Amino acid sequence: MGLIQRAVEATGIATISITFSKEITRKVKPPRAVFTNLPLGHPLGYPGQRFRQIQVLRLLLKYLKDIQIPGTIIDLDLTESDDPVTGCSLCGV
Amino acid sequence: MKQLKDKLLARLFTRYPSMLRRWAQKARIAGYSEPHWTSFTGDPAKSRLALITTGGFHLKSQPPFDMKDRHGDPSFREIPADAKPVGLSITHNYYDNRDAVRDINTVFPLERVRLLEQFGEIGKVNHRHFSFMGHISNRHLDTLINETAPDVAEKLKDDGVDIALLTPA
Repeated sequence: MGLIQRAVEATGIATISITFSKEITRKVKPPRAVFTNLPLGHPLGYPGQRFRQIQVLRLLLKYLKDIQIPGTIIDLDLTESDDPVTGCSLCGV
Repeated sequence: MKQLKDKLLARLFTRYPSMLRRWAQKARIAGYSEPHWTSFTGDPAKSRLALITTGGFHLKSQPPFDMKDRHGDPSFREIPADAKPVGLSITHNYYDNRDAVRDINTVFPLERVRLLEQFGEIGKVNHRHFSFMGHISNRHLDTLINETAPDVAEKLKDDGVDIALLTPA
């Protein structure tokens, strides 16, 4: 993900990504990334969570504007609010 | 057998994020000293936006990604912005994609960026997005870094895209 992001940013397009691993992102150094603490396979939340998916996109657009230091990783925990377990196939694993 | 193992590992990594952290600490990953940087001083409401995902999405009419090569598949698929979720498939067993199958927007927010465009929060959604498969290693990394990722970057540049949002899987 970060490698693709680097290539796109290098052409003059502003980019921001979601990351599942701060460790990997610190190595690859994309220009802007947001860690949400949501699990793999769920960068924007769970199925049917339309509002949350939109809010995550809004967060990305906000940080795209806010981040001024190249390589910044915004560290969030979006799992603190209650996830509706009914929308979560992982809960049965 | 490989498919079963991949799916099991994907579920474990999803269920136990500490496994991913331990793997990431030990993994040999292409490291860089400096990021590239394009400052953004514009307004998303006046910008053209495209999505890039590594969730392994492709149109059902497009060839699937190669799951047989253990080093992954560095190619990409162009996804029209007006594609319907029902017209898309996922070929990528290295993450638990059951929820992405149920709602594509959990990984590839194709429908949600259209809503933000309707709300006036995004100026224009580009007419195409791009999809890769993650989990690329060894010689395929060179292809990704030197060929396919720059190719997508040039296509987005040609489209006049101002913002690219990247979502992993």
